[in-house]
Amino acid sequence: MKMLAPLLHSYWYLFRGAGMTLLMAGAAVLPATALGVVLALVHVFGRPMARAVLQVYLFVVRGIPLLVLLTFVYYLLPLTGIDLPPFWGVVLVMSLYYAAFMSEVFRAGIESLPQAQWDAARSLGMTRHLMLRIVIFPQALRLAAPPFVSQCVSLVKATSLVSIVGLWELTMASREVVERTLAPFQIFIGAALIYFCICYTLALYGRYLERRSLVGH
Amino acid sequence: MLADLHFLARVIPALLSGAVITAELSVLTFLICLVWGLLVALARTNHGPLGWIAGAYIQTVRNTPLLIQLYIIYFGFAMGGFPLSGFMSGLLALCIQNGGYVAEIYRGGLQSVSQRQYEAGRALGMRRWTLYTTVIMPQVIARVIPPMTNQAISIIKDTSQVAAIAVMEMMKVAEVWVESSANTYDVFAGAAIIYLVLTSIAGFIGKVTERRLAFAQ
Amino acid sequence: MDDTLSDAPSLVTDPPVIGAPQAAPRPMLTMTGVVKSFGANQVLRGVSLSVAAGEVVVVIGPSGSGKTTLLRCVNLLEDYQQGTVTVDGAPIGYRIDPRSGQRQRMSERDIAASRETIGIVFQSYNLFPHMTVLQNIVAAPVRVKGVPRAKAEARARELLALVGLSDKAGEYPVRLSGGQQQRVAIARALAMDPKLMMFDEVTSALDPELVGEVLEVIRALAEDGMTMLVVTHEMQFAREVGTRVLFMDEGRVLEDASPKEFFHAPQHTRAKEFLRRLHAVTE
Repeated sequence: MKMLAPLLHSYWYLFRGAGMTLLMAGAAVLPATALGVVLALVHVFGRPMARAVLQVYLFVVRGIPLLVLLTFVYYLLPLTGIDLPPFWGVVLVMSLYYAAFMSEVFRAGIESLPQAQWDAARSLGMTRHLMLRIVIFPQALRLAAPPFVSQCVSLVKATSLVSIVGLWELTMASREVVERTLAPFQIFIGAALIYFCICYTLALYGRYLERRSLVGH
Repeated sequence: MLADLHFLARVIPALLSGAVITAELSVLTFLICLVWGLLVALARTNHGPLGWIAGAYIQTVRNTPLLIQLYIIYFGFAMGGFPLSGFMSGLLALCIQNGGYVAEIYRGGLQSVSQRQYEAGRALGMRRWTLYTTVIMPQVIARVIPPMTNQAISIIKDTSQVAAIAVMEMMKVAEVWVESSANTYDVFAGAAIIYLVLTSIAGFIGKVTERRLAFAQ
Repeated sequence: MDDTLSDAPSLVTDPPVIGAPQAAPRPMLTMTGVVKSFGANQVLRGVSLSVAAGEVVVVIGPSGSGKTTLLRCVNLLEDYQQGTVTVDGAPIGYRIDPRSGQRQRMSERDIAASRETIGIVFQSYNLFPHMTVLQNIVAAPVRVKGVPRAKAEARARELLALVGLSDKAGEYPVRLSGGQQQRVAIARALAMDPKLMMFDEVTSALDPELVGEVLEVIRALAEDGMTMLVVTHEMQFAREVGTRVLFMDEGRVLEDASPKEFFHAPQHTRAKEFLRRLHAVTE
């Protein structure tokens, strides 16, 4: 019991850290998803030039660690004179980073629809815009939902990296408590537990979505 | 910003020495996880307590950030009176985390082999060992290569987080050089390029392996 | 004697056999010199045909003869390298520029609009799984033609009654049998009031006991005077409902005759072979 004392004293501080984690993840998820959809459309329908640019972007994002990009922006941003609060800086980087992965998820959803659905919609005289809106997207998004949730879990975990560039969220909060209490084991495990609760809940939701999408088809 | 050749001449060898550490960590982790992940996957098939423990292990590492796991191991062992070097802590953390993911990849591969293959083998009179080694595992290995390649790339990127515990892999080297000089851009560009090279090599090896094994099927 | 394994029938020794030309008012469908290749593989080698209003033209032939591709070219689900198609006098897909005589691709919007006059039913029904039966049928009339929803739904229910599925309006396709889904697919195509209906082997994917109900619907449509282009393996159906039979092989129409003429006394060598092989299987 005495071992848990440091954790019991500080758990509220850690919860506040978790709140910041969720805020950060939430702020990054929306632009990442929106951009991901756009990029997926470019990948499927875009002109060759646009697709080539996209391929380069995907190659770079998937080949470089997020931490490198975060640190890069952290050092670089003050030099360019753009007055962006660090919070929004990291949210921006994470959005651009995860947009790439989201776009692949959405693209897979669109491309996994049988050609037959496109045929049927076109035969009924639908224009591309209408076809996408009422036939393709509803089905593609349903297929993409489970891997999408998976990416969201990954994003939540990635927020821990911002502690390395000095931003405050759950991981940073736990580091501060550890420095104060010199009880790393308990505190970090406590933080791990909080992360687990957040991510596992999301993962369960993803599995629920996966089961639901199978039933409908 | 023009490249300052003097500076580059000094920074590139440093980055490369960091890259060696990065490569060592990545390759060791990958090889260890190939075996460890298989063991965990096999344990998972057990219907008793072993299966449950394996399942809990996988869920735990998938839903907690690598950084936290790293801190737990590094500081935990130190606190327990058995301090591990940064490199060993990093290696251990990377193996524990990626072991979970690799186990899931194996599971997906096993599941994707059609039930009919088992039936056909048994109908020909094969016993379990022969069935698995000559019919099932070759197919599993072939199917598992693309996700394994992705995991290898992911491992290479994750090594950057080991910088947080002062291991002089490439990310840390870059950080140190940036802090002691003003050439942020060049250092990070160099590090980014080397990461891209490393991940591209991994991707290339994966594609080649995929092609070779496709013929073997 | 054409006993050799040549790639294409020689035009001299095996000319296509066309029956007596119909005294046609403006034809509902004409195809002129359609050539379609998939890469190096020429699937349609210059197909020309004409279908009058109210005719039921049945297209038969061995696999790979280009029958499905033919249908798909009519409403431009497949693009073709040469030739033109007109439906009810209006070009679809490509029009001939009067000045240069070259064919020009129509705009995507025009192509979409002209597809409204053609209905097609596919072998794999292709219903939208995320919509109910009723929603499947009204989606296009409401969103493409702008028909008010209430009116579209009323018409949809009429069509469902026609195909015998009035009680399934609120069901999702996954809960229907293959035959039922196919009948919904027919209703969906009819909801757009097409002038031409095309059927691409619509019973080939069905269990035998479900084939009859679908053929019944098609027969009723034919009796109502709908112009139809039907690709099928159901020879009995072709004999009873078809007004004309087109025999295709290797991308060409080799014989064009009335069902009676074709099934009793086929003229072309390939047609004779085909029917012989068919009889060998069924008898």
